[in-house]
Amino acid sequence: MPEGSRGLLLAGVGGQGVILASMIVADALMRAGHDVKQSEVHGMAQRGGSVFSHIRWGERVDSPLVPLGSAEVLAAFEWAEAVRWVEYVRDGGAVVADIRTIVPPGACTDRRSWLRRYPGIDGELFDSRHLKTRLIDATATATDLGNVRAANSVILGTVAAFIDIDDVHWEAAIADLVPAGTEKINLAAFRAGRQVAEARVPDAAQDPDGFSGPHEIEIRHDWCKGCDICSRVCPEYCLAVDVDGKLTIVDPEACTGCRLCEILCPDFAIDIHAPRELAVVGTNTTNESSA
Amino acid sequence: MTDVKSYLREWAMPHVLCPGCAHGIVLRSFLTAVDQLQLDQDKIAMVAGIGCSSRLAGYVDFCTLHGTHGRAPAFATGLKLARPDLNVVVVTGDGDALAIGGNHLIHAARRNIDITVLLLNNSIYGMTGGQAAPTTPEGAIASTTPAGNTEPNFDACKLLIGAGASFVARVLAANPMDMTKVMADGLNHPGFSFIEVISDCPEYFGRYNKVGGGAEMLTWMSVRDEGVSGPLSDKRFVNHIPSSAPPPGLATGVLHNELRPVFSGVRKVGRS
Repeated sequence: MPEGSRGLLLAGVGGQGVILASMIVADALMRAGHDVKQSEVHGMAQRGGSVFSHIRWGERVDSPLVPLGSAEVLAAFEWAEAVRWVEYVRDGGAVVADIRTIVPPGACTDRRSWLRRYPGIDGELFDSRHLKTRLIDATATATDLGNVRAANSVILGTVAAFIDIDDVHWEAAIADLVPAGTEKINLAAFRAGRQVAEARVPDAAQDPDGFSGPHEIEIRHDWCKGCDICSRVCPEYCLAVDVDGKLTIVDPEACTGCRLCEILCPDFAIDIHAPRELAVVGTNTTNESSA
Repeated sequence: MTDVKSYLREWAMPHVLCPGCAHGIVLRSFLTAVDQLQLDQDKIAMVAGIGCSSRLAGYVDFCTLHGTHGRAPAFATGLKLARPDLNVVVVTGDGDALAIGGNHLIHAARRNIDITVLLLNNSIYGMTGGQAAPTTPEGAIASTTPAGNTEPNFDACKLLIGAGASFVARVLAANPMDMTKVMADGLNHPGFSFIEVISDCPEYFGRYNKVGGGAEMLTWMSVRDEGVSGPLSDKRFVNHIPSSAPPPGLATGVLHNELRPVFSGVRKVGRS
């Protein structure tokens, strides 16, 4: 890349607001007086497919595309996208990743193999390259603020910590570009994300275990009547009723947590437990508490 | 969201309903709707008559009232007039509400008293041994119609729209997410809300008519679905279970919704 020009990559899944976020970044950088070029791939993705956007800024930018291994920051709105695009980040660069997992839509026909191929959340993946990593649960933060769709602003808040422009430019760009009526919540989300960036990452967020994996199926055998509805509706064939009419879990690893069995069990006999609580680097973490 | 099991009288579980009976799915959806609306458990009165569906009132940790056969809407009317602060919900079956208590149901609808009626239609008298009900389709086999029912059946929703119910909906037990949404709308509706849930009776209807067990009956109802207001959610749960010849269609969704004066037992006289 030409001297003095830097790159940012945004990646996510259709419907998460990746394009809007990249418009905000570009607008904020322009307000700060930079030359900016932006290029995105979308449209084919529709909801649920991969969407990404390159942004380059500096005194003079010739091409919008960020070359491999040279991005200053990667803002990933979804975990698999973080893993997919991390190669674009320069050694010592920053990765801001939402730890939410969205299993791709191809999974509708066979979610089992997709989930198995889904990358485990592993902070060490980034450690070897001396990347500054911020794993955040932007979806939860935005939900707490009142609108899950503000998750992209949370991520922008964290990203802003790694881009050296004044916050007034960010806030002006957000207020200008988000849908009318959502300015307040998006600004609150941006500030919440900013706090996450400043907080030290507690060790829990780097825990390679427990972020994803199969859901736990709990069966109350004393309530189950072996009616076979659950095993017939399970898309992953996790459950089976044996010859004695007793429900058994034949493939516990395959459960993707769709909860069809739980919702359709007439006897309240099935509970699906999500994998261990996501370790969240929330807005309430401070340097003191993690010291 | 809290665990819906916290609304159950756990000591009374497991319930008496047969394996594969969708009434339990309906109960779960109703409790989910209650949970979504954050209703106070002590402010819900569930009133039931007699029948499999009416047994549901015994398993919920609300105020419950188990009345006489078919008279649940009458009990509910009295209760609502005396205690307007309660959310009164009637859970009833097709035989209970449409045959034995037909009069009570239509007159409660006519008055537009602010109660919610869940009619669990399994097309047969389940508890008493599989006799034909007014909702048993023509040609269907029941213990009293071994060669096939010779009478046409009721369309409960049309009946209730005609009787004056201000909120009328039909949902399938096979689509619990839709069911929860409609139930929440019905609970919120001021006036008489009537929700017909197409449930199943694998033990009698399914066995006599060779439809199959619980899973097959859920499929059977979902292929009959002809959503009038479009599918409420795009989740279709039991599509991949193969089924034989689909029976005639059912209009599902919110079929009628209007706001009209709610009965309070007091005649409002305009000031001159």
